[in-house]
Amino acid sequence: MIERIKSLIPAFRSWDGPLTSLLVQEPGRFGLGQLPVERQPDSITTSVCGFCSTGCNLTLHLQKGEAVNLTPDPFHPVNRGAACPKGWEALAPLKSSDRATDPLLRQKDGSYQKITWGEALDVFVSRMRSIQKKNGAASTAYISTGQIPTEEMALLGAVAKFGMGMIHGDGNTRQCMATAVTAYKESFGFDAPPFSYQDFEQSDTIVLIGSNLCIAHPILWQRILKNKRSPSIVVIDPRKTETASAATHHLALKSKSDLVFLYGVARELIQRQWIDSPSIETHCSGFSEFSHFVDSYTPEMVREKTGLSVEAWNSFLQLLQPGRRVSFWWTMGVNQGHEATRTAQAIINLALMTGNIGKPGTGANSITGQCNAMGSRLFSNTTNLYGGRDFKSLKDRSDVSRILEIPLEKIPSKSSWAYDQIIEGIDTGEIKGLWVVATNPAHSWMNQNRFEALREKLEFLVVQDMYHHTETARIADLILPAAGWGEKEGTFINSERRFSVLRKVSIAPGQALADFSIFHLIANAWGCADLLREWETPEKVFQILKKLSAGRPCDITAIDDFALLQKSGGIQWPCRSGVDLKPFDTSPNQERRLFEDGKFYHDDAKARFIFENPREVPEPVDVSFPLTLLTGRGSSSQWHTLTRTNKSDVLKRLSPSSCYVEVHPRDAQNYGMRDGELVTIYSRRGSIRAKAWITTTVLPGNLFIPMHYPEVNQLTLSAVDPYSRQPAYKACAVQIGGIAP
Amino acid sequence: METLTPHVSLPSLASLTDEVNLIDRFLAEQAQLTTAVTRFSQWHEQSPHSLSSKKLYQELIPLEQPKKGEQYGFQVDLDVCSGCKACVTACHSLNGLDDDEIWRNVGTLHGRNDHALQQTVTTACHHCLDPACSNGCPVLAYEKEEETGIVRHLDDQCIGCQYCILKCPYDVPKYNEKRGIVRKCDMCHSRLLVGEAPACVQACPNEAIKIVKIQHSAILELSTHPLVPGAHDSSYTLPSTQYLSKKTQDLEPADATAFKIESPHSPLVFMLVFTQAACGGFWANGVHFFTTGEFSRGLSFLSLFLLLVGLFSSSLHLGRPLHAWKSFLGWRKSWLSREVLAFGGWLLCALVSCVLPEIVTFFSLTPFTQFSITTMNLGTALLAVFCSIMVYADTPRLFWTFHRTAGKFLGTSLILGAALAMIFIPKNFFLSLAVSVAVLKLAMEAGFVRRHLSEESSHPHTQSARVVWVLLKPLFLIRLGITLLGLLVLGIEPISATFFLLIGELLERRLFFQSVRAPRMPGNF
Repeated sequence: MIERIKSLIPAFRSWDGPLTSLLVQEPGRFGLGQLPVERQPDSITTSVCGFCSTGCNLTLHLQKGEAVNLTPDPFHPVNRGAACPKGWEALAPLKSSDRATDPLLRQKDGSYQKITWGEALDVFVSRMRSIQKKNGAASTAYISTGQIPTEEMALLGAVAKFGMGMIHGDGNTRQCMATAVTAYKESFGFDAPPFSYQDFEQSDTIVLIGSNLCIAHPILWQRILKNKRSPSIVVIDPRKTETASAATHHLALKSKSDLVFLYGVARELIQRQWIDSPSIETHCSGFSEFSHFVDSYTPEMVREKTGLSVEAWNSFLQLLQPGRRVSFWWTMGVNQGHEATRTAQAIINLALMTGNIGKPGTGANSITGQCNAMGSRLFSNTTNLYGGRDFKSLKDRSDVSRILEIPLEKIPSKSSWAYDQIIEGIDTGEIKGLWVVATNPAHSWMNQNRFEALREKLEFLVVQDMYHHTETARIADLILPAAGWGEKEGTFINSERRFSVLRKVSIAPGQALADFSIFHLIANAWGCADLLREWETPEKVFQILKKLSAGRPCDITAIDDFALLQKSGGIQWPCRSGVDLKPFDTSPNQERRLFEDGKFYHDDAKARFIFENPREVPEPVDVSFPLTLLTGRGSSSQWHTLTRTNKSDVLKRLSPSSCYVEVHPRDAQNYGMRDGELVTIYSRRGSIRAKAWITTTVLPGNLFIPMHYPEVNQLTLSAVDPYSRQPAYKACAVQIGGIAP
Repeated sequence: METLTPHVSLPSLASLTDEVNLIDRFLAEQAQLTTAVTRFSQWHEQSPHSLSSKKLYQELIPLEQPKKGEQYGFQVDLDVCSGCKACVTACHSLNGLDDDEIWRNVGTLHGRNDHALQQTVTTACHHCLDPACSNGCPVLAYEKEEETGIVRHLDDQCIGCQYCILKCPYDVPKYNEKRGIVRKCDMCHSRLLVGEAPACVQACPNEAIKIVKIQHSAILELSTHPLVPGAHDSSYTLPSTQYLSKKTQDLEPADATAFKIESPHSPLVFMLVFTQAACGGFWANGVHFFTTGEFSRGLSFLSLFLLLVGLFSSSLHLGRPLHAWKSFLGWRKSWLSREVLAFGGWLLCALVSCVLPEIVTFFSLTPFTQFSITTMNLGTALLAVFCSIMVYADTPRLFWTFHRTAGKFLGTSLILGAALAMIFIPKNFFLSLAVSVAVLKLAMEAGFVRRHLSEESSHPHTQSARVVWVLLKPLFLIRLGITLLGLLVLGIEPISATFFLLIGELLERRLFFQSVRAPRMPGNF
């Protein structure tokens, strides 16, 4: 009987039907493997990703030209078939309901009114002009970004500076890359990150300083794992990050003791004679002064300042033995410090003195943050004149005037203020009109409460962004709706100097326009469009950039066009005809590093040892504020101020939705705090609430809060490195109080 | 090689000084997609890119199908899992999941005290040898494939009861509200079928995830240890995933002491409390009948009404209630299936015992018939409540062990049954029964919270107690207060009192669902 019933059961079971068919897959064309039926592409294209600086290439699956899905490009020299979650979800933020679809003008009552582009341009021009008339052209400024293509940045630089007469314009790249720029410029003579990602695979010792690579650049960690030389991986970071956990060695230095540590290492290498004297002799200057300078950084002193054990110190030094290929890599842990430039240069010094530069698996290598920070460094025309030139140099101005056929007097002879100086300028009343493009200072700028107060001093704030509701757009007078990544064309330059092409694969919503078009509209409305007749399309601007690069270290004259970039899997600068692109070759080598010939960019072709006494942190801990707050990236699924990543339902699920703070168990015990409790953290500048996560990832005395949560910068300090003017986000004094269940 | 088509056939900038035309030109250009496609799709068709990327991942999957006594399983090398979570998004994109749907997740283990370390753990379905989801499914919507061992979910068979979610100790099946069904990882069954690696395997930049063949005997051997620290006892379902690691022994899940409110499952709250009240009402009437030989018609019909409301409410819990008729299919293993059958039987008996006396009033029922139908009704009622208890007791959730669940469910029956009786057939016996059981029940609930609240431990009871006391305190206090109020006025105002007691029990049941700690793989803070 039971058997008979059992035999009937299959008849009651549905193996197929409408719900099952939702997920049915069939072989994809173009070698893509099985794909859901509904998302089968009829064509594909590739595009560089628009989040971080790694420069992964994504294969976009198109239906009638519109992207419906994507997969990482399996053959690309950068990412080799992998992408981080942000890359996988790159299309989701485009479809958000929060997209800016129309120009919006703030009304007297604080509400926003939809206006036409014509009206928006009138408002923009009339208000900016009236401010300039009253206070001079320098009273209007702009803050740009590392998130838009090089060609758009270049156009913005031309419109704002040559057309509208602005002097001051900077990018949010000040917050991430300025230190590396300054350090390289002073040490090498040009802002030139020397490496190719292949160096990860060719090192014997990989030293990551202030870099949580696994989270910030997951695909670069992949490159480390591809290293067949079983490398020692050293992470220098006060936190036990994901990367520190995955490394072979972790040196948990006390916060901001890295400069002392690096000088101490230099001394020890000199003592042990583990230096490359012939190379120092031929290719460097200033070594003997440096050698004398570091003499006082004894191991005892270093261990005391850094909190390192003798074993950790010794075992680290062993990894720098002559004969080993050592590469040094740094990111924000170094760049966002109060003595960041000197710290970066202390890293460069180590590479120079040990001959770890210009050879496979070596280098003093800054890994960039944003997808096009490197484009901004070379071609944004903000604090540098195009092509890494100097506004103050008549020769450089004349060059640019000649190449662009722009009257010399249109090119400002004054350097631009840095981001922090522009903000100070608002306070002093020197800046009255501000144009913010594709960045979110009301969230990301240090000491946020002060920034909010300064808003009141601005007569006119324009925000040009993909979204209506970024923290900054919400306080703007005028919002200009912009197309985003995937809705326009251009190039990004990645950390290893690789130009890659960004493709248009999606239609921007409503009246949103590519930033490129918006800049042209503004130029036209301002009456300076005549200067920009040649700048018609991104691809034509690329040709202009080639001309601007000619003869510079970043020479790209041998790159024909976007099509060659696409075909080659991107091309690193420099790319000079006959040198980098050999006769009869169609594209250059995919992985090239700088300084193989030992020639640097200073006039004497030598690299310089630059050093300075360490300084006390700007806000040391004390009795009232006994804890040091560190900030940084929280997870690989979050990007900066979350304006984009929070628009993907999946990415949102992959990180805690509200602010949390990492607290060491011992501190938790001292404060009588339990896991998951809501605590108040306050600094001299503000206070926020966060859930306590009691964990050993931080050292006792340190707290860590991911920078992505909008409230965090209420706590951070207004302090910058004096040379790079990059904010020092990584350390300020705080206290915990108000523990509530 | 590619042929370049002209960029866009729009007027050049130089010819447009008029602002309006320029705006229109840019808006028109923005609305065009032709640029990229015409130039680059052609290019791809002829490029080496159109070579299959399949072979890139082939060393990460077995060359041939499992033999008898073997199955496929995930093998995760934790030492190279660095927490990028690409596997989660790749699974989402390549399987065409709905917007916020994920079948894989990445949690974290970390060191306590001075052991500084964190280790991420990627996890999806473990395709268990003895899958609890499948054992609990009332409609046989799970199928463990004979050849591969993959535990597949039959989407069109599913009725959206979500019992598998309660059964799985790894929080694998996910309810999809939009579709009204549960869906889950199928190890990219259709990819493996054509020799392709699953999405997560392809996506991992560090090659941390592989598909391997694993012997059933090996699964049994490995089941003496949890998959990773903090994971549920593997002997329960015999998971086939293997986690390889040199350093996770002394770690604990990042969310070990985290506590969060679980779904209240409101339809189930009403279903349980109302049916249990009905059971109590019938029993009180039965006791009355056996002692006095009389029935309260009112009590009978009110109990029947409560039963009907409860059963109707249960259907609201289903994602696809129209398919609920299939629920008997899983009776051999699923307590939910048995509960459905028991409730069906009880409903029949209850109807007979209430309606038959009404129809046959003219020629009154024989005492034997009356005795029989009453006994049948009371028996099936108890059986149904017993099945309800077993539904929860048969999950791996510690807060729902048999004795605790039985205490709660039977307590509700006694309290509400006695209270209902007080409305129709007030007796001191019912009053003292309701008061004593309710006081005992409140004492046990409060005692539980008090006992476990102060512990600093990752024990599930501590988390349950903290959910109640920290996150749901007002609810808990109302539950206590309103029940005490009900007891106070039960002798005077039985109708209001019953209403208060009913509210109290509904709140208790809501807390029963909301404060349960579901076992799961390590999560995140």
